[in-house]
Amino acid sequence: MSTTSTEEERSTEARGDTILEVNDLKTYYEDGGFLGSNPVKAVDGVSFDIQRGETLGLVGESGCGKSTLGRTLMRLEEATAGEVKLNGTDITTLSGSDLKQFRKDVQMVFQDPDSSLNERMTVGEIVREPLDVHDWKTPSERRERVRELLETVGLQEQHYYRYPHQFSGGQRQRIGIARALALEPEFIILDEPVSALDVSVQAKILNLLEDLQNEFGLTYLFIAHDLAVVRHICDRVAVMYLGNMMEIGPADEMFDQPANPYTHALLSSIPEPDPTIERDRITLRGTPPSPRDPPAGCPFSTRCPVKIRPSAYRDMDTDLWERIEVFREVLRERSRADPSLSDRVRKLLGRESHRAGMDEIIPELFGELDVPSDVMSHIREAADYAENDDEDAARAYLREEFGSVCDHERPDQLSVGNRGRLSLCHRHEPEYEEPAAVFETLVQ
Amino acid sequence: MSTTTETEIPLRQRVAENPQPALIWAAVGAVLIGVELGAILQVVGAVAGVVVNLIPGDPGASAVQSLQAAFDAIPTLVSRDVIPNQGYWDGTGYENTFLGLSPAVAWAIRVVFVYAYAFAVLAWAWNGYKRFRRHYRRVDWTPRDDVVNRFRGHSWGKFGLIIVITFVVMAVFAPALGPTTMEQNILQPYDYEVSYWSEDTQSVETVLVGEANLGSGSQGAGDENVAPMTYDDFGRFHPFGTATNGKDLFTQVVFGARISLTIAVVAMGIAGLIGLGLAMITAYYKGLADLATVLVSDSIQALPVIMVLILMLVIFQNTWVRELYDGAVLIILIFSIVYWPFIWRSIRGPALQVSEQDWIDAAKSFGQTPTQVMRKHMAPYVFSYMLIYASLSLGGIIISVAGLSYLGLGITAPTPEWGRLIANGQQYVASPSWHISLVPGLLITLVVTGLNAFGDGIRDAIDPQADTGDEAAATGGGA
Repeated sequence: MSTTSTEEERSTEARGDTILEVNDLKTYYEDGGFLGSNPVKAVDGVSFDIQRGETLGLVGESGCGKSTLGRTLMRLEEATAGEVKLNGTDITTLSGSDLKQFRKDVQMVFQDPDSSLNERMTVGEIVREPLDVHDWKTPSERRERVRELLETVGLQEQHYYRYPHQFSGGQRQRIGIARALALEPEFIILDEPVSALDVSVQAKILNLLEDLQNEFGLTYLFIAHDLAVVRHICDRVAVMYLGNMMEIGPADEMFDQPANPYTHALLSSIPEPDPTIERDRITLRGTPPSPRDPPAGCPFSTRCPVKIRPSAYRDMDTDLWERIEVFREVLRERSRADPSLSDRVRKLLGRESHRAGMDEIIPELFGELDVPSDVMSHIREAADYAENDDEDAARAYLREEFGSVCDHERPDQLSVGNRGRLSLCHRHEPEYEEPAAVFETLVQ
Repeated sequence: MSTTTETEIPLRQRVAENPQPALIWAAVGAVLIGVELGAILQVVGAVAGVVVNLIPGDPGASAVQSLQAAFDAIPTLVSRDVIPNQGYWDGTGYENTFLGLSPAVAWAIRVVFVYAYAFAVLAWAWNGYKRFRRHYRRVDWTPRDDVVNRFRGHSWGKFGLIIVITFVVMAVFAPALGPTTMEQNILQPYDYEVSYWSEDTQSVETVLVGEANLGSGSQGAGDENVAPMTYDDFGRFHPFGTATNGKDLFTQVVFGARISLTIAVVAMGIAGLIGLGLAMITAYYKGLADLATVLVSDSIQALPVIMVLILMLVIFQNTWVRELYDGAVLIILIFSIVYWPFIWRSIRGPALQVSEQDWIDAAKSFGQTPTQVMRKHMAPYVFSYMLIYASLSLGGIIISVAGLSYLGLGITAPTPEWGRLIANGQQYVASPSWHISLVPGLLITLVVTGLNAFGDGIRDAIDPQADTGDEAAATGGGA
């Protein structure tokens, strides 16, 4: 990765050789309910591919489904729908000896080196176990191989008979990496491999991973939430939000010119070491919606700062528009919260519940603004529904009135630029302004 | 580990390179085991006899009997023959006792000798572990070393361990410890005779053991009482006095220890295996397997243990199962069935905790089989917890068995059982014959306390951070 020319060479020669292809993968967690439960949609229709020899970074805030995606690719979770093709074979349906072969080709390095090594086994036993499972050659050759591996990852062969307790965090992660390398896999999933380590150790482990990639021609899926680390090690980056892949593309391009509004927001959260630099950080409103009940349209529509407005309200005052969005957020939060027992009793008795209080919320939100009467009547209408504990009707009403294409239609992954970048946003359609341009106006 | 290449050398070669510590240890071991080889073979013969007995038709019974006879003929060091105490006073000195000493002294010497031998064997085994650790083990340190070291610094646990060892030695060496034998004194008293010095005739006379027993019972009155550490009218020494029927209490106590220990250990072993196996399965697969086990174990735990025991013993009163090992086999089976839910419940939490560790996922990710994952990656973490609960519950089982025998259920007469001894002596507690109930009662208390102390010691050793204040989950109550 020293010069851009080698990088481009690598990416062009790799283009034709796809190692992993993921098509519309879904992983839902069913829980509890015997009848018609509402599953957690941890991964909700993700498609991408990974070229042989490249490092694909997978970033996103916690709970966005990136670890579940990694575990589904590992077959540690069962996919609900979609396919994962490793070298052309769909691995979601493998069983028996095919599954065992797959287990040999794909390995994983875990986040927490304290928990990923069985502390009752010696380092030698830990690294040897995959070889034993797959009956790799003879026992003495296995021991020989383990010693080689220990040297490869920067440990010493006399560490064979030590226990994980006797090592530091960085050394333990090296043991985990040696175990992942034991069966000579083609593809390794690195699930936040350095986030539990000290910064100084992080760099060493990252360099080790890069060296190993060059030496053995490995392909990495690098799951992380530390964007600086991703920028350092990855060829391409995929950004996840709420189980969806918001943007995927070459790392340098994406970091320099993010296309998707969510990527914009995510990148602006990278702390700048130089305190004199003035930056306009984009702070997102609210919290991500529940993955049980994702928005009907674009997954990011509830928080997007550059959401498309319906044509009737395109010229509306920005502050007022903001307040309407906040109002919708409040209703969504309220419908998510289960009513307490006393609320239910009150409702049964026909008394007014504590959850009402729209007459406090409306003045709070819109009191100081100059609201056009037609807009205000829509708000009152929605507030009436909410007053009667029917948040869903209120939300539907507001969606109908103030919703745009972002609320109604799930965007497609649209191509941006000419280096294979894809972004999940309606704004890349020709009739709308690009997100980057809208951000410019917002910042001013 | 001095050099790096040492990692490849197998144990045999490591011993060959530095044979001295191993040789010394092996030589001491050969002496210790050699002197008791006959006894070890006798145990093998006895076990073979039991096995043959259980098989319908008793195939090869005669072969086993001749084998047993051959084994019995091998002299052993720690035995009644080497230090005999069943002699008599012939007017001038003791006949047929060890070095012509009095029966009491000869018996005491034998008891001391038995315990000295037992502790010597244990010390030898411990020394072997230490030699292995120092000279031959490839690893400098294992997590288990810390556990052992912590236990060594735990006085209460060590006290418990000593009590437990004393109890186990009592059970194992029961035939050598008693001042008389089970066969002579308790089972077939009318087939044996004793010689004694008769004050009336001033000569040595003989009497049937059964008749002598009739004349030396402890029945509360001053002249009908043989107190602990006294001789009866027939010159026989009774360390714990006699029971109501004149049979030697000490002999009954040591053989009672045997049956109590057997029942408790075997029942707990079976319950532990079931509990551990189910804990692995439920923790690994969770969901439906867990739910089903919860339902079954809750159903069993909802039953009052003692009540189930009594009902089952009554139901099986006249069946062949009840006859096996004087009823012990049936009791073992019932205890196993009733106790596994407690074990499973106690270790379910730790098992679930372990199953959430990343190393389980790691093992799955490279294709390790479920059984191996459970065995290598889960069971070692749960086993020590099981050991704690097992050692704490052993006391409960011992109490329950004693309780059953006290009620006249449980172990059938004439096989001695502590609970039945207590029941026999109950009406004489306030009389000179108080020893009949008190001695077994005290011993039960001591053993159960020892087991609890031992369990506490293990718990503190494996998990020093554990909250030692909360005893609710880990009490040995059962009866």
